[in-house]
Amino acid sequence: MSNSQESPARSSRRTFLAKSAAAASGLAAMAAALAPLRDLDDFTNVEEFLRKHYKELTPDELAQRLKIIEQKVKERHDVEAEVKALAPMDGVEFVYCLNLTRCIGCRKCVHACVKENNQSRSPEVQYITVLKMPQGTFDLEKGDTEYQPAAVPEDGSFYMPVQCHQCRNAPCVQVCPVEATWQEPDGITVVDYDWCIGCRYCVAACPYFARRFNWKQPSIPKEEINPDMSYLGNRPRPVGVVEKCHFCIQRTRTGRYPACMEVCPTGSRKFGNILDPESEVSHILREKRVFVLKEEAGTQPRFYYYFDI
Amino acid sequence: MNGDRKAEITLGGLTAAFVILIPVFLLGRSAGDIPPEHVPMDAVFNTPTTVRLSAAELIESEGDTSGMDCYSCHTEGAVPTLHKDANGLVAASTNHLDLVYARMNCAGCHKESEEVDLEWDDNDNLIIPPHHKQPPMRHGRFGRNNDCFNCHIPDKLNKVRTRHGEEFELKDSTQLCVSCHGTSYREWIQGVHGRLNGHWDRESGDFKRQDCTACHDPHSPAFAAVKPAPKPYRPHPNSASPGAEHP
Repeated sequence: MSNSQESPARSSRRTFLAKSAAAASGLAAMAAALAPLRDLDDFTNVEEFLRKHYKELTPDELAQRLKIIEQKVKERHDVEAEVKALAPMDGVEFVYCLNLTRCIGCRKCVHACVKENNQSRSPEVQYITVLKMPQGTFDLEKGDTEYQPAAVPEDGSFYMPVQCHQCRNAPCVQVCPVEATWQEPDGITVVDYDWCIGCRYCVAACPYFARRFNWKQPSIPKEEINPDMSYLGNRPRPVGVVEKCHFCIQRTRTGRYPACMEVCPTGSRKFGNILDPESEVSHILREKRVFVLKEEAGTQPRFYYYFDI
Repeated sequence: MNGDRKAEITLGGLTAAFVILIPVFLLGRSAGDIPPEHVPMDAVFNTPTTVRLSAAELIESEGDTSGMDCYSCHTEGAVPTLHKDANGLVAASTNHLDLVYARMNCAGCHKESEEVDLEWDDNDNLIIPPHHKQPPMRHGRFGRNNDCFNCHIPDKLNKVRTRHGEEFELKDSTQLCVSCHGTSYREWIQGVHGRLNGHWDRESGDFKRQDCTACHDPHSPAFAAVKPAPKPYRPHPNSASPGAEHP
């Protein structure tokens, strides 16, 4: 009895010290593990946490969200931006056509897109990949994205720009577990950057390598920011979400051509409304031998390639 | 007793390890977070201007049209003599270079504040870069359309003429081009040939079709080779791409 009384008294100091040391180091380790939270400056509030899906927002709620985004842009980039949520136009389905005979691989489309759509400059995010292909094959494995000669086009090659094909049967939409990406009535597959959880299933599902993940906080110099922004389009993205080409939704839904098309020096790129029989794209689909990339994937893209002088 | 000792040593060791690791983790985070290289974007690669100015655009933009005044050098009514080079090709006089330069759209290739390095040869003559030289006559394959007077009128140099005898002002040269290039013309009207700017929805706003000579030099219409915009910057080389190497 006396032994058992003595024993806790004798070891209590020792165990107390050991336990205190363990507890202190444990607490310190936890503090160190939580250290990244110090960098979290835009921690979500309750209102933000309980927000509704884009498609369920009432016009008032949407207007409120746009205001919040404008404020965030102001805080983050010090730019007065106008963020819009343009509705799809009635009787419009967008289609893109690209003449591979005319494309010279100058990559102007890539950079015009980056500028228009506020893509991260560092690290670089680009929606368009231009493949330099050896003539006589469509084996994409042979496509070179790193070409940098003094002048293009080079003999024996053709150039194939690849971007989001806005598929009618889009695998990226089907795999999204939270419905953060969907197809709009005008054919544009959009991403809600506030709803995306960053699982990257869509990146894996896309057969055209068209989706980009923001591994780091995107950075854009203040003077290069395009203040004409759209909720589902070119508003600045946070880290950890997926983005992709949206046919310049902020331009095309106001009737303008997309940036990549306007900048193309050879006129290889054609864009328009397939439901209008007078449009350029309708003419091309009627008159030219168009084809789609990876037809066997069954994605039914809205992006057509053709060869024509 | 032995077990307690072991536990103490283990706990003590772990405590020491944690204490050492804490500053490493806390300091290491901020020190290791170096942003990747920022690649500045060259404005030349996203300007929607064309590399040339059509005669109509040159007049509209109040550019230097003195080169289009043919009779400031030539005598009216007199047929100019054509000079041919060693290969029998018509060599345009270098006196036409002023007009060639006036038709070049500087903003299509150069930045506004760009400093250009001039190079001089041994005789102190300026070396003209290949893009600024007047290209040799190369209209049509096999040199079949290299005669100036297929399009220009010998005794009316400020006008052009189709093979059917229809005459046009220089600024309306598109009508001359289409007299031969019917297929391209039909597609141009459709908007399929050449570049369009502005609005796809004609009700929302206007759109602009380019004249033939805004992109093609009528004397050498094939599209000139251009310098490509920089390749994508990859933090890690893409091993899948042939010949890939980190910049």
